[in-house]
Amino acid sequence: MFNPTLALFQLCDSNFPTGAFSHSYGLETYIQEGKVHNQATFSKWLDVYLNEQLVYADGLATRIAYEALEGNQQEDIWKLDRLLAVQNLPRETREGTQRIGEGMLNLVESLYDVPIIKAYKERIKKKQAFGHPAIVFTIIGHHLNVSLRDTTLYYLYSNLTTLVQNAVRAIPLGQTAGQKTMQQFQPVLVKALEKIEGLKMDDFGIVSPGLELSQMKHERVNIRIFMS
Amino acid sequence: MHEWTGELRLDIEKRHGKSVAKNVYFQGAFKVMRPVYHDDSGQVCYYILNPGGGYLNGDRYRMSISLEENAALILTTQSATKVYKTPFKEAYQETEINLKAGSILEYVPDPLIGYRAAKYKQINRINMEKGSTLLYTDVITPGWSPDGKRFSYDRLQLINEIYLDGALVAYDHIKLTPADQEIEEIGFMEGYTHLGSMIVVGEETNADLLDRLYDTVNIASSEYKIGVSMLAVKGFTVRVLANSTQNVEAIFSKIHQIIRQEWFGTKPTMLRKY
Repeated sequence: MFNPTLALFQLCDSNFPTGAFSHSYGLETYIQEGKVHNQATFSKWLDVYLNEQLVYADGLATRIAYEALEGNQQEDIWKLDRLLAVQNLPRETREGTQRIGEGMLNLVESLYDVPIIKAYKERIKKKQAFGHPAIVFTIIGHHLNVSLRDTTLYYLYSNLTTLVQNAVRAIPLGQTAGQKTMQQFQPVLVKALEKIEGLKMDDFGIVSPGLELSQMKHERVNIRIFMS
Repeated sequence: MHEWTGELRLDIEKRHGKSVAKNVYFQGAFKVMRPVYHDDSGQVCYYILNPGGGYLNGDRYRMSISLEENAALILTTQSATKVYKTPFKEAYQETEINLKAGSILEYVPDPLIGYRAAKYKQINRINMEKGSTLLYTDVITPGWSPDGKRFSYDRLQLINEIYLDGALVAYDHIKLTPADQEIEEIGFMEGYTHLGSMIVVGEETNADLLDRLYDTVNIASSEYKIGVSMLAVKGFTVRVLANSTQNVEAIFSKIHQIIRQEWFGTKPTMLRKY
C-alpha cells in the first residue's frame, strides 16, 4: 500500500544525496570565531537561523509554491524561484542552495514523473531558473497529495536534521547531544510552521543581520570543511 | 490620490558633457538644495532636505529619481533622517529609481535614526538598464532614549528591490523589531548598534575587485564586523555591524573611493561634514 507521507519522507532522509551536508549556512564562521562551541550555543544559533531566516525564505516559499501548484499558476513558481535566489545575498549560500536544488531536482526526476519537474530542469538548463530545494520539495509534496502543513513541516525537518548532523561533525558534538537537539527542536518546528502560516508575502526574505554577515564572512574563513 | 507628506521628483540628463536637471519637482516636507558640481567630471550632486526635521506618525514620503543615458548623479541628504515616535501609524517612504544605460547613480543618504517607539518602512525600487551603475548605502542607527535602552525603536524595515533590464536581480529585506528579537544576541546585532548596508551594481565588478576591497578593510577588527559578497549579477553587497556612524561611514567611504577611482576615474568626494 502506498503511503504518501512515507514517500515524501524519503526526501528528508539524511541518506538522500542532495549535497546539503556540504553547507553550514554561516554556522562554520561562528564555530571558528568560538561563538558556537557546544550544544547550548549551537541550539541558540539554530533557533535564530530557523526562526529569523529559514521561515521567511524557504518556509514561506513552500507555502507560496504549494498554493501556486494548487491554482496551477506555474508563472508564480518561476517568479518565486528567482526571488529565492536573489534575496540570498551571500554568494556561497546562494550558489550552494542552487546546487542542492539542482541535485534534488535530478534525483526526484528519476523517481517521479511530474511535468513541472521536467519544466523546472529545462528552465535551469536555459538559465531561466536558478533551482531551489524548497520548490522541488514542495512540488513532490503536492504531487504526492501530502498536505501543505506536512510538506512545510517535513521540509523544515529535513533542514534541521542536516544542520544538526553538520554541527555534530564540525563543533563537534556527541551523537547523543545531536539527537537531544533534534528532540528539543520538535516543538520549535511546529511553532515555526504556525509562524509561516501567519506570514504575508510582504514578509518574504527578511533576514537577520548577524546571520547574513556570518554567511558572507564565510568566504574568508581560513579553515573550511563546508562550502558555505 | 495619495496624500504625500513630502514628494520629490528629479530627472537628470546629460547635456553638453554636464549632468543637469531636466525636471525638479518637490512639495511638502521634501526639498532639494541647488545642485553642486564637486569636480569637473560633469557629475551633479543634489542634497535632499527635510524641512520638517523628522518623520512622524503616519508620514508618507515619495521620491522618484530618473537618470537619462550617461547622466551622473550623487544624491545625498543634508542630515540624518530622524524617525520619531509613531504611536498609531508607521512612517513610510518609497523611492523609485530609473537608470538608463551608461548612467551613474551614487545614492548615499545620511543615517536613519530610529527614536523611541518609532515605526518606519522604506522601499527602494531600482530599475536599471544594462550598462548603468548604482552605488547605494544606508546606515540604521538607534536614537538616544531617555531610559538608556540601546534599541528603543519599535520597527525599522528597509526593502531594496533591484531590477536589471526588467528582471529582479537583488532583493534585500531587513526588519528590526528589537522588542520581539534578542537583538543583542547571536544572529541579530551581536552587541553592535549600527547596521550599514551597501549595494553596488556595475558591469566592471570582478573577483579581483572583491579581493582589493577586503584588503582595504580589516576583516579581523573587533570594532566592527564586515561581510562582502558578490550578487547574482555583476555587483556586490557589503554589510557592516558597528557601534558608530563614523565607523560605518569610514568603511563605506574607502570602498566608495575605490569604485570612484577605478570605475569612473573621479576623485574621492567629501560629502560628509566630519
